[in-house]
Formats: sequence, C-alpha cells, structure tokens
Amino acid sequence: MSAVVPPSRRAILSLYSTSLRTANSFSSYNFRHYFLRRTKEKFRQLQNESDPARIQSQFNEAVKELAVLRRSAIVNQLYGGWKLAVERTPEQPEETMTRSDN
Amino acid sequence: MLPRASRAALRRTGISRAATLSHGRRGFVQPSGADRASVMDVPSTYQGEAHFTPRSDMLGFKLEAPRREGSAKEKIRPIYLDMQATTPVDPRVLDAMLPYMTDQYGNPHSRTHAYGWEAEQAVEDARKHVADLIGADPKDIVFTSGATETNNMAIKGVARFHKEKKRHIITTQTVRSCKFLSKHSYSTNSQEHKCVLDSCRKLGEEGFDITYLPVQKNGIISLDELEAALRPDTSLVSIMTVNNETGVIQPMKEIGTLLRKHRGVYFHTDAAQAVGKIPVDVNEMNVDLMSISGHKLYGPKGIGAAYVRRRPRVRLEPILSGGGQERGLRSGTLPTALAVGIGEAARIAKQEMQRDHARISELSRRLIDGINSRVEHVVRNGDVNGYPGCVNLSFSYVEGESLLMALKDIALSSGSACTSASLEPSYVLRALGAAEDMAHSSLRFGLGRFTTEAEVDFVIKHIIRTVDRLREMSPLWEMVQEGIDINSIDWSQH
Ligand SMILES: Cc1ncc(COP(=O)(O)O)c(C=O)c1O
Repeated sequence: MSAVVPPSRRAILSLYSTSLRTANSFSSYNFRHYFLRRTKEKFRQLQNESDPARIQSQFNEAVKELAVLRRSAIVNQLYGGWKLAVERTPEQPEETMTRSDN
Repeated sequence: MLPRASRAALRRTGISRAATLSHGRRGFVQPSGADRASVMDVPSTYQGEAHFTPRSDMLGFKLEAPRREGSAKEKIRPIYLDMQATTPVDPRVLDAMLPYMTDQYGNPHSRTHAYGWEAEQAVEDARKHVADLIGADPKDIVFTSGATETNNMAIKGVARFHKEKKRHIITTQTVRSCKFLSKHSYSTNSQEHKCVLDSCRKLGEEGFDITYLPVQKNGIISLDELEAALRPDTSLVSIMTVNNETGVIQPMKEIGTLLRKHRGVYFHTDAAQAVGKIPVDVNEMNVDLMSISGHKLYGPKGIGAAYVRRRPRVRLEPILSGGGQERGLRSGTLPTALAVGIGEAARIAKQEMQRDHARISELSRRLIDGINSRVEHVVRNGDVNGYPGCVNLSFSYVEGESLLMALKDIALSSGSACTSASLEPSYVLRALGAAEDMAHSSLRFGLGRFTTEAEVDFVIKHIIRTVDRLREMSPLWEMVQEGIDINSIDWSQH
C-alpha cells in the first residue's frame, strides 16, 4: 500500500447517511437544521472532488466530525428540545393578542 | 433496574438509541425531545412488565424518571434573533469543553503532575486557535472573563501606566443626542459599549482628559476629526470595530495606519462583535490591544480574551494582582473548560466564517427585502455596508413598546439607535411632548450561524401583521394616510 486509496463510494454513502441521521437526531430546531444543511453541503463538496488525497482527508475529517456530532446530539436530546414558535403545528394555533382597552 | 437482558440490548443498540428507547413509562433517561424519538419494540428476550408493577411502598407514585419541569410539549419558546446580546453555544464547542468538566479537572498552572500538564496543553491549544483567528501570536493572547474585563484592563491599564506623561484618551462619542423630546433631548445610540464609556468616565474622575469623537451620519468616524483630536499627550485611542446596535464597521485599517504615524499612541479596539464574524487581523489593522468575548462567537459566557501586542511592547498596569498568571496581566487560575470553549469556538469560526457570512448576508437580504416589500415607512439604521447579521430597522408611526409586546414569539432587542436623521419626528410631535417611541420604534434583528430561512419568513410575516395592526390603531397613521401634513396643523389651539 503506497498510493492513497480513496474511500469507496459505498463507504462515503454510508458515512453520509449516518451523518444525516445523526444531524436529524438533534432535538433543538436550530442545531438540527444547521447540521443537516452543513452535512449536505460537505458531502456535495466531497462528491465533486476528484483528487484522491483530498477525498481521503475530507473523508477523515467527516468521520471525526461524526463522532463529535453523535455525542453532541445525545447531550442535546437530554437538555434541549423545547419547541420553537416556528415549529408550531396547526393543532397548536397561536393565541392572538387583543387589546383590553377598547 | 432494567432486566439484565434488556440492559444488554440497550448496550447493543448503542447509547443514542438508549435515549430514544425511553419513550413511554419504561424510560429512565427522559430526553425532552421524546416527541421526536421513535418507539422501538422491546427485544425478544424482554421478560414482561412485572418488573414495573407498583409495590405497596411506592404509595401511588409512578415509576418514572424525573421529568424536567415544563418539558418539551407544553412550552413553546420564541425564536431567537438577538445574536448581538449573546449567541448559543455551538454543540461542537460544548463537546470540546465537557472532558474538562469531568475527568480532566487539573489546574493548568500545576507543574508537577499530569493533571496540570494536560490542562495546560488544552489551554495553550485554545490560545493558539484564538490567536490564529485574529492573525496574532499565541503569546499575545491573555485570557480574561470577557470583553468587559478586557476593555477595563486595556483602557485603565494603558492610561494608568502612562499617567506621568500622558493624560489624554480618545474614544467615540458617548451618546448622540437625538432631539426627540421637547423637554430633555433624548440620548441614545452609544457608539461605544457601556464598559468602554464607563472606564473612560472613571479615568475622567482620576484626572484624565477624555475626548469623545462624534460620528458622521452613517455612524463612521471621520479620520480628519480623529487626527485633529490627537495631542502630544494622547496615550490611547479606543474605537469599536463593529457596533453592537447598528452593525456599523469602522475603517480599522485606515485608523490603524493613521495612528501608527503618531508614536506613543496606543490603539485599542473592542472587537467583541467582529471577531469570528468578519475577517480581523491585528497586524493589518495595526491595533495594539483588542477585546474579544467568547459568548459572541458561539462560545461560552464568562471567558474572553485580550490581545496585547508584545512587539512593539504595550505596557499596562494590571487590574488584578496575584499569582502572575497570563504574563502577569491577569492573575487567577484559568478556567480550563471555558478557555477550551473559546478556543474551539475560534477554530470553528475561522473554518466557517466565509460560509457563515455568505449565509447571513443572504438571510439579511431576505429579511430586509421581505419587510420592505410589504411595509412602508421603514428605515434601516446604520451603514448599508455594515455587518449583515445586525439589522436595525425603524418603523414609523408605531409605538415601540407595543411592537415588542406583540412580537412575543420573537426574541428581539429594541434598537435604541437613531443614526437616521430622516426619522426625527416633526416638531409637532415634540411640541406635543410625545415620547420618542410613540413616533417610531426601532428593532434590532440579530441573525447568526443557526438562523434558518423559516425563521426569517416567520419574522417577516409577524412584523407585517403586527405593524399593520398597530398602525390601524394609530391616529397619526390615519392622518398620514389621508394625506394630511401633520406639520401643517396648528396644534396649539387645543
Ligand atoms: C461591543 C461589545 N463589547 C463588550 C461587550 C460585553 O462583553 P462581555 O459580556 O464578554 O463582557 C458586548 C456585549 O454585550 C459588546 O457588544
């Protein structure tokens, strides 16, 4: 083994789907959306890369980041996750404020 | 206790599943995000519910993990658009900090054992990340408790160290008086943060001369006025890089070049709102001292940093005396976990800055265009070339307090800015003694790394609705709609 053997397509796809799933498991709205978007961007970039060495290094970077995300998602599930007003579902209509002085 | 078999199953499925397993009664871990978790079948080896049959000594209490008060379902929180006040801690930052809040609790100043060494290593790595973000040498970085402390340390420190020969300090104007009120001119729009101004006021009491430079209409200082204000006994010029109310960015490079020509004048900048958001380079800007705050760049609160140039050396009198840590400038044991936090935040900021900035610009444009297309008489305060993550808008004919109250689903600050002269309400209003916020109200929208399009659209929708409703109730607005020039009315008869 001398030349860099880039990770297989399957390995990349598998890492991608695990990363997406992990990002999606954040309870907090903002973090979940951010990491989903970032994961998609990162893998799109990886997809467009042709230099094997760079693919390898980006892949390794993504593996490391997945470990961080996994732990972070667990902590976030434990302590985060209040619903935000943007996440309000139709069953939870917002109250409308009316003035009491007229 | 869970039965053995299911515990083994838990272990097999991995921790993250364990968190989601706990959906119903069986859970001991009760994540508040449970409504999003999936319920899994119990493993085939699971031995039945008997284990959870209440015993008489439970006295009717349910077998349940402690629930957090006001957990997920019942409470809906407003969306957060106040990134100038503080930013959420990036989960990656927290992940870097946690080891130093559990096992790696050593004192970074302990030299005799591994606990100390590993903590010291972590602090030094963090220092390097902070230094890299601003183009400095790690040795120039001093950890402090935040930008407030750094500002105090820099301003008082430099002034007092040089007090024998130099007794003059320049900063930007305290307040621009916006003449809104009849009786007292209403003063808002501090160009500097309170801690800078208060440090200067204190020095003023100690006998220093303080010059408060005015800013131009667009919030930017004039280089000519700055040069004219310099005196032979000026020791320090302190100018904020990015304004926290309006997002106005000062021409730091030009100011730095100008000040470099005057030997012995130190240049301090409060870059709390700039570092990690826009490119900042201490050598390009020629600054001698810089204040950085952890919680403005997705790091933890309670930590900040001072950049103190060593070549040419900036000398200052430390505020804290003690163990001589941090080059003797800031004694006291370093909070390892917090230092690691600001370090990781700086590392991520450097890596993400371009992407963050592009995205925030896009969101900012979306917000401004969205509001402008549907609401009239809205003015953006500050400079159009300012930091896009800080959008300060003024809405005419809307009472400020009501606007904020009605927007309870959005966490916002009222922007006390009034750099825009066009917003000055007519003398009529003044004659009526109307309060400033009856005539118009300013809101500061702070966008950040974690803001989404959906949130921006939500804000636009709510602003449009609320402003329309409030204006409908406003007699002034009615007159404006009818084309009555409110300046032409002779109010004095009433
Ligand atoms: C420009 C500026 N300087 C200083 C501070 C205070 O920073 P810290 O909370 O780290 O003391 C703030 C934030 O409120 C700020 O916006």
